[in-house]
Amino acid sequence: MTLEQEIRAPLVQLNGLLAPYLPSRDTWNPADEVIYQPRDLYRVPLEEAQDMQLKSIRFTFSYHYDNNYFYHKYCKTRAVRLDDIKTVDDLDKIPLILDTIYKEYPSGKDFAHWLSTVFTGKLPKIIIKSLDPTYDDVINAFNSAGLMVTYSSGTSGRHTFIPRDMKTFIAGQYASVMSFASMIPSRIPNHVYLLFPNPAKTNLFIGKINMLAGNVYKDVRYAVDYEITTDSLRRAMSGNRETEELVTSYVQSEMLQKMVDQITAWLECYKKTEEIIALNGPPFMLHYLMNKLQKDGTSFDFGERGRIRTGGGWKINEDARITHADFRKQAADVFGIPETHCLDVYAMVEGNATMMQCPEGHYLHVPYTYYKPLVLDEDMMPTAYGEWGRFAFLDASAQSYPGFIISGDRVRILEHCPVCDRLGPVLEPEIERVKGEEVRGCAEELRRILAQDLAK
Amino acid sequence: MTQVDEIRGHESSPPEIPKQSKLMEMASLTKMMLKNATAFRKLRVIGPDEERYVRPPRQYELPQFQEEMRYSTSNEQYLRPTRWCNPRGPQVVAMANELGAYELSDYEFADAAFWFVKTKMVAEMLPLNSVGATLKRGTGTCYHLISVFIALCRAAGIKARYKTFRMKLPEAIMDLEKSEQEEKLVPMFNIGVPEGEGEAYIDGTWVVAHVAMRPELFAVHGLPITKLGEDSIDMTFELIPGTIRRFESLPLQLGIALKAGTWLAPATMERTNISIQKRCLQGGLIIEKAGGIEAYDQNARRIKDFYSLKEILSIAKLKRNETIVFEED
Repeated sequence: MTLEQEIRAPLVQLNGLLAPYLPSRDTWNPADEVIYQPRDLYRVPLEEAQDMQLKSIRFTFSYHYDNNYFYHKYCKTRAVRLDDIKTVDDLDKIPLILDTIYKEYPSGKDFAHWLSTVFTGKLPKIIIKSLDPTYDDVINAFNSAGLMVTYSSGTSGRHTFIPRDMKTFIAGQYASVMSFASMIPSRIPNHVYLLFPNPAKTNLFIGKINMLAGNVYKDVRYAVDYEITTDSLRRAMSGNRETEELVTSYVQSEMLQKMVDQITAWLECYKKTEEIIALNGPPFMLHYLMNKLQKDGTSFDFGERGRIRTGGGWKINEDARITHADFRKQAADVFGIPETHCLDVYAMVEGNATMMQCPEGHYLHVPYTYYKPLVLDEDMMPTAYGEWGRFAFLDASAQSYPGFIISGDRVRILEHCPVCDRLGPVLEPEIERVKGEEVRGCAEELRRILAQDLAK
Repeated sequence: MTQVDEIRGHESSPPEIPKQSKLMEMASLTKMMLKNATAFRKLRVIGPDEERYVRPPRQYELPQFQEEMRYSTSNEQYLRPTRWCNPRGPQVVAMANELGAYELSDYEFADAAFWFVKTKMVAEMLPLNSVGATLKRGTGTCYHLISVFIALCRAAGIKARYKTFRMKLPEAIMDLEKSEQEEKLVPMFNIGVPEGEGEAYIDGTWVVAHVAMRPELFAVHGLPITKLGEDSIDMTFELIPGTIRRFESLPLQLGIALKAGTWLAPATMERTNISIQKRCLQGGLIIEKAGGIEAYDQNARRIKDFYSLKEILSIAKLKRNETIVFEED
């Protein structure tokens, strides 16, 4: 086996493991082709990739224009049609949607109709066994009918709901798994500990994105292995009575300690073997775990047998945030896993694609065959590479909902990675939230100052 | 001054916020303050190194009242004097005449009064007082400023009233890092933050007037500047359904609450005033850079219209999908 073949072997193996879940080749449309055909999404020659990007995004735009009632109306108000999108430069004309639109939903029966309105295509028959359904009732009914409706955690208690069909969902999963494998092209991990919810027990996006993990990896464990619903999340986020807070905080700290103990025991099992292990989870949870291990004086030396993949950001734990570089150093100290095997992923529930860090420079690589990243200035106009601004994207793989979105993140895009030899644009690794200050009348101004004055 | 009853106009929307929420709100706040003596002191005392608020000079000349000036003496509802809103005071009559009362059409006058309050008066936290005093000072809370607008309209013979509502805290602020105390305040303010507008009765219709926010405060957020007739609900603020109230006269408890707040937390009020002042300065620079209020507003509207999908996705316009079936469990 040549070196090239040796590097590619895991990708071929993964492709084989995932093949049963992929749509059959004879049903592939232009958006499917550019995801499933390339062996390495980050090494497609640029000119070829540009054609693929244009073709796939054009196809998906046309599909949404023709089959999505609200997006069609939106495009009409913006006077943009498929004929206007001829070249790669014309892609910037595709009407973008603010990510907050997927947070503006009604409740009850109207929520089901709202989901069907933002969904592109024909829905199967959906039976909701309630005349006054909750959000969970509606989502479960949609998903029982073969869809994959997921939602974000929503730190304010206001979720983002995205209706994927299985085709869109699998495309995202496939690209994500292959992306990670192409960044660290050696043996596929045998044992994976996911510090995420069990996908079988929640419709949270951060749980469901690991749905294929059980089919790809030999052995998968979940740190959060109980049912999570929109209801339980709302209670967890909005408790405002002292006793409830105390109880919640006690239970949470007990659960976290149990998680630490379980993961430590799991790591102990493999520390003297040749097995490849992986820890995947939000950085704040892994950071918590590492802090606990360091406090107990525990460390490991997995070396290149170890992998860490983080994703999901720091969210409400912004006060605990450390830089990616410091996180990797800590991971090297605690687990002995080299920094090249500690990669972060940038993804969001509204986006079907994931952006993966490269091991060489830890820049976030964009799957540029089907995904066009944009940075918008204050006037919401696309700006040049190298400028900071608001992140937006055109995602051809999102075929069941319009994935042409303006996010709430502040990023900088470079034309190519300054460190590795992979092709296509990259995002700077440290991503911030756009400073969305609230609009303040005098009462709101007073509230804010009062809150600051009352702060300890 | 004639005492009048409040009137309420309810929107057809989900149930009202429970009345006990106000009591719970105050109880939570009081409890928080009593538990934390340091914080309580901070509400009352400005530190020696802290910046002090300096009221800006009045941004307009106060015209002199003259006996021959015209004004309405009607005792009809929405035209007569009400609590903290006397349209017959000399400063109000003089200003109304200066702005064109009984010379301009009702709409033109209301528009003139609207832009006068919006661009010449400044937000400041202080107890409620007469419109005359507010005009002399040039500053006030949104209730002071709305009262000026209403008094001017009433003086010009145009019916006018108050409209209040509660706004939802937007996603952006909920997602931001918060201190422990801010976290505790969030549920309290989940019942919404109060906001207000005026309404003038012109040519058979009530026309909304969002006078209490200066253009500079819109500019800080890149928002279009509301004009006469444009509701701040949805344009600027997100409404908590069921909270809109309309009335002829400001309620007494509002005055009591503001007075109590100013007495209890004078330092907080002062810091608020400083913060508002700074934001106005910031917004002023943005407007200047854009080439003036009109130029700024045009651009802000272009951006807002560009990404507006709420109308398309509003509940009234949702398509009812026949493949979705609801059954009893």
